[in-house]
Amino acid sequence: MTAALTTPAAPAAARPAGVPRQWRWLARLHRPSLIGGGALVLLAAAALVWLGGPLTDASAAAWKAYNACGFTPRCSYDQSAILLYKDVYNYVTFAVLAVPFLVAAWAGGALVGRETESGTARLAWTQGVSPARWLASRLVLPAVLTVAGTGLLAALHRWAWATGRDRIDTTKSWYDAATFHANGIVPVGLALAGLAAGALAGLVLRRATAALAAAAVAVGVLWGAVHAALPYLWPSVTRVTTLDEGPLGSGLHVGEGVLTAGGGRAAAPCLTSQMQSCRDTLADMGATAFYRDLHPASHYWPLQLVATGILLAVAGLLTYAAFRVLRRTTGTARG
Amino acid sequence: MTVPALEADALGKRFGRRAWALRDCSFRLPAGRVCAVVGPNGAGKSTLLALAAGLLAPTEGTVRVLGAHPATARPRVGFVSQDKPLYPQLTVAETLRMGADLNPGHWDADTAHRAVAGGDLDPGRRIRALSGGQRTRVALALALGKRPELLLLDEPMADLDPLARHELMGLLMGEAAAHGTTVVMSSHVVAELEDSCDHLLLVGGGQVRLSGAIDDLLAAHTRVTAPAGADLAPHEVVESRTTGRQLSAVIRPSGPLPDDWRAHTPSLEELVLSYLRNPAAPAPAPAPEILEAAV
Repeated sequence: MTAALTTPAAPAAARPAGVPRQWRWLARLHRPSLIGGGALVLLAAAALVWLGGPLTDASAAAWKAYNACGFTPRCSYDQSAILLYKDVYNYVTFAVLAVPFLVAAWAGGALVGRETESGTARLAWTQGVSPARWLASRLVLPAVLTVAGTGLLAALHRWAWATGRDRIDTTKSWYDAATFHANGIVPVGLALAGLAAGALAGLVLRRATAALAAAAVAVGVLWGAVHAALPYLWPSVTRVTTLDEGPLGSGLHVGEGVLTAGGGRAAAPCLTSQMQSCRDTLADMGATAFYRDLHPASHYWPLQLVATGILLAVAGLLTYAAFRVLRRTTGTARG
Repeated sequence: MTVPALEADALGKRFGRRAWALRDCSFRLPAGRVCAVVGPNGAGKSTLLALAAGLLAPTEGTVRVLGAHPATARPRVGFVSQDKPLYPQLTVAETLRMGADLNPGHWDADTAHRAVAGGDLDPGRRIRALSGGQRTRVALALALGKRPELLLLDEPMADLDPLARHELMGLLMGEAAAHGTTVVMSSHVVAELEDSCDHLLLVGGGQVRLSGAIDDLLAAHTRVTAPAGADLAPHEVVESRTTGRQLSAVIRPSGPLPDDWRAHTPSLEELVLSYLRNPAAPAPAPAPEILEAAV
């Protein structure tokens, strides 16, 4: 508070160009959210560690006992361990996938929407903080925390899933929709897009609840779109099988059908020539083989990277739009 | 000539496709004045102040603040909006500390604390627990602590009881006088501003109806009482009314008045009301000192 002792500097040029200390106040204003969000992340992380450690061991042991039973009529294994593993796995997967929605709702409702609705944003803008700096601070620090929190949970989820993969018979496959996303970096991209969507919604709608809902819906729509486009984000592999075998190959399916003598593709009327009626139909249409387009496990990271890249591009566009909206409403000449 | 504190040229603002909140506003406020922005509710006062504070972009025309674009001038301008937004979760002391942190290099903690101290406020209380008047006090403290060259206050005294209003107005005027701050404050209660302001900006129907030094404006107008049916030409008539055998009018005389007319200087409130009641009344030519300022 030494400023009070100095004589007032009348000309603006004489003022030192100090940078406003916004971070501290951003953290102070959102302290409850920081604590609550941090607690949620830690809780989910603890659950994931529990899942990947003791629960996986217990479930694997139970499966081992079960498989050793063979056809012995009286044989005991720890069924509750298997069920507990499955339940907890489903819950934590859900928790990891819920993070982007929570980030978006918080960004729209509390971070920006509440300030534009109550007018405290204007208070900040008429202190020494320009609107652009104000928005930048509200995006950068939450973005860093979002990446750290979401990334930690997704990494732990992948670790927990991987430790159980070969030991527990009912582990979800890598291409199971929820597991596919929760194991990778898509939630991180989705959460960042949600943060930007929340900020934009808060600036445009200027209502906390409306912005909260809009941002959460935006994340849902984005995720749906990315999930629908997922099979086409990387060139797929085609596996050709005989008419007798039917379409084969496990992985993320893109499409399947029959290859005809002319080299064309057609929808499969039925799935094996071992049945008389099917064999006749296939012969009629000149089918020579079944095919299946799919992504093998090796395509997991390329698919994740492309999907996350798209989400990051969307997040970038939303951020750009938010700054544009802010500049247009406040008439800020420069950042 | 010094740079005017506030200068608008054909300024207009429209929200969405709705009607214009403010249109074709041109005026000039010399630095160092205490200016009252007067007008009925919904006249465009808040819009004008938000434009000057760089919180809104004009739809047309320009506004210059301390000779600069409002966005550039923002660090030198203090603003308190009508609803006095503050962070409800912070305490009074924290709010002032935030002011210090957000205004590095030009924060006057003494002034800010003095503004708060007068209200017998516990610094540890949260903003959400304060009364409307106490919030106004904290909002003013934030604006004053910034030590602005131009202070824009939108209905600043609306929530205050007469005692607090008097005390805060005194503090405000003291600070303004000590630092040569230009103050622009809006109100729809003319009497609230009459004692402390030396400049008037009358806004009605989204337009500037009157602008100038209050003394000049009052001197340029005369309230006359004349026999009914008297011819008011060639004087410019703002308002005239006939009751019984008497005609009373507010005019801008353009020459000596007949001897049988009783004439006196109108009060500020009379002047303001006569213009507001008569939207068609012609706006006077800019007062000489304003023309001078334009050079």
